[in-house]
Amino acid sequence: MTINRHGSARIEFPSELEIVITREFDAPIALVFDVLTKPEHVSKWGATPPDQMKECSIDLRVGGTYQSVFVTEDGTECSFRGTYLEVEPPIRTVETWLFEGWPDAEAVETMQLDETDGVTTLTIRLAFRDKAGRDHMTRFDGKQDDFDAMDEILRSLLDQKGMVSE
Amino acid sequence: MIGADLLPILAAAGGALHMLISEYGGRVARASTTSDVFNAIAEADRREILDVLMTGEKAVGAIVGHLSMSQPQVSKHLRVLSEVGLVRCRAEGRLRLYRLEPARLRPLHDWLAKYEQMWNARLDRMDDLLQELQQQGERSDN
Repeated sequence: MTINRHGSARIEFPSELEIVITREFDAPIALVFDVLTKPEHVSKWGATPPDQMKECSIDLRVGGTYQSVFVTEDGTECSFRGTYLEVEPPIRTVETWLFEGWPDAEAVETMQLDETDGVTTLTIRLAFRDKAGRDHMTRFDGKQDDFDAMDEILRSLLDQKGMVSE
Repeated sequence: MIGADLLPILAAAGGALHMLISEYGGRVARASTTSDVFNAIAEADRREILDVLMTGEKAVGAIVGHLSMSQPQVSKHLRVLSEVGLVRCRAEGRLRLYRLEPARLRPLHDWLAKYEQMWNARLDRMDDLLQELQQQGERSDN
Protein backbone atom coordinates (compact mmCIF):
# COMPACT_ATOMS: atom_id res chain seq x y z
CA MET A 1 0.00 0.00 0.00
CA THR A 2 3.00 2.24 0.08
CA ILE A 3 3.53 2.47 -3.67
CA ASN A 4 3.36 6.05 -4.80
CA ARG A 5 1.51 6.02 -8.06
CA HIS A 6 1.32 9.76 -8.50
CA GLY A 7 2.01 10.88 -12.04
CA SER A 8 1.56 7.41 -13.47
CA ALA A 9 -1.44 8.01 -15.71
CA ARG A 10 -0.95 6.92 -19.31
CA ILE A 11 -2.52 8.88 -22.12
CA GLU A 12 -2.79 7.30 -25.53
CA PHE A 13 -4.33 8.14 -28.88
CA PRO A 14 -5.44 4.92 -30.55
CA SER A 15 -7.09 6.78 -33.40
CA GLU A 16 -7.84 10.27 -34.56
CA LEU A 17 -11.07 10.36 -32.64
CA GLU A 18 -10.11 8.72 -29.38
CA ILE A 19 -8.20 9.42 -26.23
CA VAL A 20 -7.52 6.68 -23.71
CA ILE A 21 -6.36 7.37 -20.16
CA THR A 22 -5.23 4.52 -17.91
CA ARG A 23 -4.35 4.62 -14.24
CA GLU A 24 -3.93 2.03 -11.48
CA PHE A 25 -5.17 2.45 -7.91
CA ASP A 26 -4.35 0.48 -4.79
CA ALA A 27 -7.99 0.02 -3.87
CA PRO A 28 -10.78 -2.50 -4.38
CA ILE A 29 -12.89 -2.13 -7.49
CA ALA A 30 -16.11 -1.35 -5.58
CA LEU A 31 -14.52 1.59 -3.82
CA VAL A 32 -12.99 2.96 -7.02
CA PHE A 33 -16.40 2.70 -8.67
CA ASP A 34 -17.98 4.64 -5.79
CA VAL A 35 -15.34 7.35 -5.95
CA LEU A 36 -16.03 7.73 -9.67
CA THR A 37 -19.80 7.76 -9.45
CA LYS A 38 -20.90 9.24 -6.13
CA PRO A 39 -21.24 13.03 -6.02
CA GLU A 40 -19.91 13.28 -2.47
CA HIS A 41 -16.66 11.73 -3.69
CA VAL A 42 -16.40 13.29 -7.15
CA SER A 43 -16.84 16.75 -5.67
CA LYS A 44 -13.67 16.14 -3.65
CA TRP A 45 -11.33 15.26 -6.50
CA GLY A 46 -13.01 16.59 -9.63
CA ALA A 47 -11.85 20.19 -9.54
CA THR A 48 -8.28 21.39 -9.89
CA PRO A 49 -7.46 23.93 -7.16
CA PRO A 50 -7.94 26.85 -7.03
CA ASP A 51 -11.02 25.94 -9.06
CA GLN A 52 -13.94 24.62 -7.11
CA MET A 53 -16.73 22.26 -7.92
CA LYS A 54 -19.88 24.19 -7.37
CA GLU A 55 -22.35 21.51 -8.33
CA CYS A 56 -22.07 17.80 -8.88
CA SER A 57 -25.12 15.74 -9.66
CA ILE A 58 -25.13 12.12 -10.78
CA ASP A 59 -28.22 10.06 -11.54
CA LEU A 60 -26.52 6.71 -11.99
CA ARG A 61 -28.89 4.71 -14.17
CA VAL A 62 -29.31 4.18 -17.90
CA GLY A 63 -30.89 7.36 -19.24
CA GLY A 64 -29.93 9.27 -16.09
CA THR A 65 -27.90 12.45 -16.40
CA TYR A 66 -24.88 13.91 -14.67
CA GLN A 67 -23.55 17.43 -14.46
CA SER A 68 -20.50 19.06 -12.92
CA VAL A 69 -20.26 22.82 -12.59
CA PHE A 70 -16.87 24.38 -11.86
CA VAL A 71 -15.98 27.88 -10.79
CA THR A 72 -12.55 29.21 -11.61
CA GLU A 73 -10.60 31.67 -9.50
CA ASP A 74 -11.93 34.65 -11.44
CA GLY A 75 -15.52 33.47 -10.98
CA THR A 76 -16.01 31.98 -14.42
CA GLU A 77 -18.37 29.02 -14.43
CA CYS A 78 -18.13 26.10 -16.77
CA SER A 79 -19.71 22.70 -16.85
CA PHE A 80 -19.69 19.17 -18.17
CA ARG A 81 -22.79 17.13 -18.57
CA GLY A 82 -24.02 13.96 -20.16
CA THR A 83 -26.38 11.00 -20.11
CA TYR A 84 -25.61 7.46 -19.00
CA LEU A 85 -25.89 4.88 -21.77
CA GLU A 86 -24.70 1.89 -19.73
CA VAL A 87 -24.35 1.39 -16.00
CA GLU A 88 -22.81 -1.84 -14.79
CA PRO A 89 -21.48 -1.50 -11.22
CA PRO A 90 -18.71 -1.92 -10.33
CA ILE A 91 -17.20 -2.63 -13.74
CA ARG A 92 -18.18 0.04 -16.18
CA THR A 93 -20.24 3.02 -17.18
CA VAL A 94 -20.73 4.51 -20.62
CA GLU A 95 -21.98 8.06 -20.93
CA THR A 96 -22.18 10.93 -23.34
CA TRP A 97 -19.79 13.74 -22.52
CA LEU A 98 -20.38 17.32 -23.46
CA PHE A 99 -18.49 20.42 -22.51
CA GLU A 100 -20.73 23.43 -22.42
CA GLY A 101 -19.75 25.86 -25.14
CA TRP A 102 -18.15 23.26 -27.36
CA PRO A 103 -21.05 21.33 -28.93
CA ASP A 104 -18.76 20.01 -31.67
CA ALA A 105 -16.69 18.16 -29.14
CA GLU A 106 -19.36 15.81 -27.96
CA ALA A 107 -17.94 12.44 -27.07
CA VAL A 108 -18.88 9.07 -25.65
CA GLU A 109 -16.92 8.30 -22.53
CA THR A 110 -16.37 4.75 -21.29
CA MET A 111 -15.06 4.12 -17.80
CA GLN A 112 -13.91 0.57 -17.33
CA LEU A 113 -12.56 -0.95 -14.12
CA ASP A 114 -10.64 -4.15 -13.61
CA GLU A 115 -9.25 -5.47 -10.33
CA THR A 116 -6.27 -7.82 -10.11
CA ASP A 117 -4.49 -8.68 -6.86
CA GLY A 118 -5.98 -5.71 -5.06
CA VAL A 119 -4.98 -3.23 -7.76
CA THR A 120 -7.78 -1.65 -9.75
CA THR A 121 -7.08 -0.36 -13.23
CA LEU A 122 -9.24 2.47 -14.50
CA THR A 123 -9.46 2.99 -18.24
CA ILE A 124 -11.23 6.08 -19.49
CA ARG A 125 -11.89 6.16 -23.19
CA LEU A 126 -13.14 9.31 -24.86
CA ALA A 127 -14.42 8.73 -28.38
CA PHE A 128 -15.23 11.92 -30.22
CA ARG A 129 -17.93 12.19 -32.79
CA ASP A 130 -16.49 12.21 -36.27
CA LYS A 131 -16.52 15.22 -38.49
CA ALA A 132 -19.31 13.96 -40.69
CA GLY A 133 -21.52 14.10 -37.63
CA ARG A 134 -22.20 10.40 -37.55
CA ASP A 135 -24.71 9.64 -34.87
CA HIS A 136 -22.66 7.98 -32.19
CA MET A 137 -25.76 7.09 -30.23
CA THR A 138 -26.98 4.67 -32.86
CA ARG A 139 -23.47 3.46 -33.51
CA PHE A 140 -22.98 2.76 -29.86
CA ASP A 141 -26.49 1.82 -28.85
CA GLY A 142 -25.71 -0.34 -25.87
CA LYS A 143 -23.12 -2.37 -27.67
CA GLN A 144 -19.52 -2.67 -26.83
CA ASP A 145 -18.34 -4.25 -30.05
CA ASP A 146 -17.16 -1.08 -31.74
CA PHE A 147 -14.83 -0.27 -28.93
CA ASP A 148 -13.68 -3.84 -28.39
CA ALA A 149 -12.75 -4.09 -32.02
CA MET A 150 -10.48 -1.08 -31.89
CA ASP A 151 -6.94 -1.58 -32.90
CA GLU A 152 -4.16 -2.11 -30.46
CA ILE A 153 -3.28 1.02 -28.62
CA LEU A 154 -0.37 2.92 -30.05
CA ARG A 155 2.77 3.60 -28.14
CA SER A 156 2.16 5.67 -25.08
CA LEU A 157 3.23 9.25 -25.30
CA LEU A 158 4.42 8.93 -21.76
CA ASP A 159 6.80 6.18 -22.75
CA GLN A 160 8.58 8.47 -25.13
CA LYS A 161 11.89 9.46 -23.73
CA GLY A 162 13.84 12.47 -24.87
CA MET A 163 10.87 13.69 -26.78
CA VAL A 164 12.03 17.26 -26.82
CA SER A 165 15.53 18.54 -26.81
CA GLU A 166 16.23 22.18 -27.18
CA MET B 1 13.47 20.43 -31.42
CA ILE B 2 11.18 17.42 -31.65
CA GLY B 3 12.71 14.37 -33.22
CA ALA B 4 11.24 13.49 -36.58
CA ASP B 5 10.71 9.92 -35.41
CA LEU B 6 8.05 11.17 -33.02
CA LEU B 7 6.13 12.94 -35.71
CA PRO B 8 3.71 10.07 -36.37
CA ILE B 9 2.50 9.87 -32.80
CA LEU B 10 2.20 13.61 -32.47
CA ALA B 11 0.36 13.71 -35.75
CA ALA B 12 -2.07 11.00 -34.65
CA ALA B 13 -2.63 12.89 -31.43
CA GLY B 14 -3.24 16.04 -33.44
CA GLY B 15 -6.36 14.56 -34.92
CA ALA B 16 -7.86 13.78 -31.56
CA LEU B 17 -6.74 17.03 -30.05
CA HIS B 18 -8.26 18.95 -32.87
CA MET B 19 -11.61 17.83 -31.57
CA LEU B 20 -10.72 17.75 -27.95
CA ILE B 21 -11.54 20.70 -25.84
CA SER B 22 -9.74 21.71 -22.75
CA GLU B 23 -10.84 20.39 -19.43
CA TYR B 24 -12.81 23.16 -17.85
CA GLY B 25 -12.08 26.83 -18.00
CA GLY B 26 -9.42 26.79 -20.65
CA ARG B 27 -6.84 25.72 -18.12
CA VAL B 28 -5.06 23.79 -20.79
CA ALA B 29 -6.65 25.59 -23.70
CA ARG B 30 -4.27 26.01 -26.55
CA ALA B 31 -3.17 29.44 -27.61
CA SER B 32 -4.86 30.70 -30.73
CA THR B 33 -1.49 31.18 -32.39
CA THR B 34 -0.94 27.46 -32.39
CA SER B 35 -4.34 26.43 -33.60
CA ASP B 36 -3.27 26.51 -37.23
CA VAL B 37 -0.75 23.77 -36.62
CA PHE B 38 -3.48 21.71 -34.96
CA ASN B 39 -5.76 22.28 -37.90
CA ALA B 40 -3.06 21.49 -40.42
CA ILE B 41 -2.28 18.23 -38.71
CA ALA B 42 -5.88 17.17 -38.17
CA GLU B 43 -6.23 16.37 -41.87
CA ALA B 44 -5.17 12.81 -42.70
CA ASP B 45 -3.86 13.60 -46.20
CA ARG B 46 -1.57 16.25 -44.80
CA ARG B 47 -0.24 13.85 -42.22
CA GLU B 48 0.62 11.45 -45.03
CA ILE B 49 2.60 14.20 -46.70
CA LEU B 50 4.43 14.91 -43.46
CA ASP B 51 5.20 11.20 -43.16
CA VAL B 52 6.69 11.15 -46.65
CA LEU B 53 8.83 14.20 -45.87
CA MET B 54 10.16 12.54 -42.74
CA THR B 55 12.68 10.65 -44.83
CA GLY B 56 14.06 13.89 -46.23
CA GLU B 57 13.60 16.81 -48.56
CA LYS B 58 11.56 16.06 -51.66
CA ALA B 59 10.20 17.69 -54.80
CA VAL B 60 6.43 17.81 -55.31
CA GLY B 61 6.63 15.12 -57.98
CA ALA B 62 8.43 12.76 -55.62
CA ILE B 63 5.83 13.35 -52.91
CA VAL B 64 3.02 12.62 -55.37
CA GLY B 65 4.85 9.41 -56.35
CA HIS B 66 4.61 8.16 -52.78
CA LEU B 67 0.91 8.88 -52.32
CA SER B 68 -2.42 8.18 -53.92
CA MET B 69 -3.17 11.86 -54.35
CA SER B 70 -3.12 14.04 -57.42
CA GLN B 71 -0.47 16.71 -57.86
CA PRO B 72 -2.98 19.56 -57.42
CA GLN B 73 -4.17 17.99 -54.15
CA VAL B 74 -0.64 17.60 -52.89
CA SER B 75 0.21 21.17 -53.87
CA LYS B 76 -2.85 22.44 -52.06
CA HIS B 77 -1.90 20.59 -48.88
CA LEU B 78 1.72 21.72 -49.16
CA ARG B 79 0.49 25.29 -49.31
CA VAL B 80 -1.43 24.83 -46.05
CA LEU B 81 1.55 23.13 -44.40
CA SER B 82 3.86 25.92 -45.58
CA GLU B 83 1.54 28.60 -44.27
CA VAL B 84 1.72 27.20 -40.74
CA GLY B 85 5.46 26.60 -41.07
CA LEU B 86 5.39 22.80 -40.82
CA VAL B 87 7.22 22.55 -44.15
CA ARG B 88 9.73 24.83 -45.84
CA CYS B 89 10.12 25.23 -49.56
CA ARG B 90 13.17 26.18 -51.59
CA ALA B 91 13.78 26.38 -55.31
CA GLU B 92 16.53 24.40 -56.98
CA GLY B 93 16.56 25.06 -60.69
CA ARG B 94 13.03 24.37 -61.83
CA LEU B 95 12.26 22.16 -58.87
CA ARG B 96 10.58 23.25 -55.71
CA LEU B 97 11.89 21.19 -52.82
CA TYR B 98 9.96 20.71 -49.57
CA ARG B 99 11.33 19.73 -46.21
CA LEU B 100 9.87 19.21 -42.76
CA GLU B 101 10.17 21.76 -39.97
CA PRO B 102 9.56 19.47 -36.98
CA ALA B 103 10.33 22.27 -34.51
CA ARG B 104 6.95 23.72 -35.40
CA LEU B 105 5.33 20.76 -33.67
CA ARG B 106 6.59 22.12 -30.39
CA PRO B 107 3.30 23.87 -29.51
CA LEU B 108 1.49 20.57 -29.97
CA HIS B 109 3.98 18.80 -27.77
CA ASP B 110 3.68 21.48 -25.10
CA TRP B 111 -0.08 21.28 -25.20
CA LEU B 112 0.03 17.52 -24.83
CA ALA B 113 2.35 17.84 -21.86
CA LYS B 114 -0.14 20.14 -20.14
CA TYR B 115 -3.02 17.82 -20.93
CA GLU B 116 -1.10 14.93 -19.48
CA GLN B 117 -0.28 16.97 -16.37
CA MET B 118 -3.91 17.89 -15.87
CA TRP B 119 -5.04 14.26 -16.00
CA ASN B 120 -2.31 13.17 -13.66
CA ALA B 121 -3.23 15.84 -11.13
CA ARG B 122 -6.86 14.81 -11.31
CA LEU B 123 -6.25 11.09 -10.91
CA ASP B 124 -3.70 11.72 -8.17
CA ARG B 125 -6.39 13.55 -6.20
CA MET B 126 -8.69 10.60 -6.75
CA ASP B 127 -5.91 8.29 -5.56
CA ASP B 128 -5.43 10.37 -2.41
CA LEU B 129 -9.14 10.20 -1.65
CA LEU B 130 -9.14 6.42 -2.14
CA GLN B 131 -6.27 6.04 0.30
CA GLU B 132 -8.01 8.31 2.78
CA LEU B 133 -11.28 6.38 2.55
CA GLN B 134 -9.49 3.07 3.02
CA GLN B 135 -7.64 4.34 6.07
CA GLN B 136 -10.93 5.54 7.52
CA GLY B 137 -12.43 2.13 6.77
CA GLU B 138 -9.57 0.37 8.55
CA ARG B 139 -9.93 2.64 11.57
CA SER B 140 -13.67 2.05 11.82
CA ASP B 141 -13.09 -1.69 11.50
CA ASN B 142 -10.85 -1.71 14.56
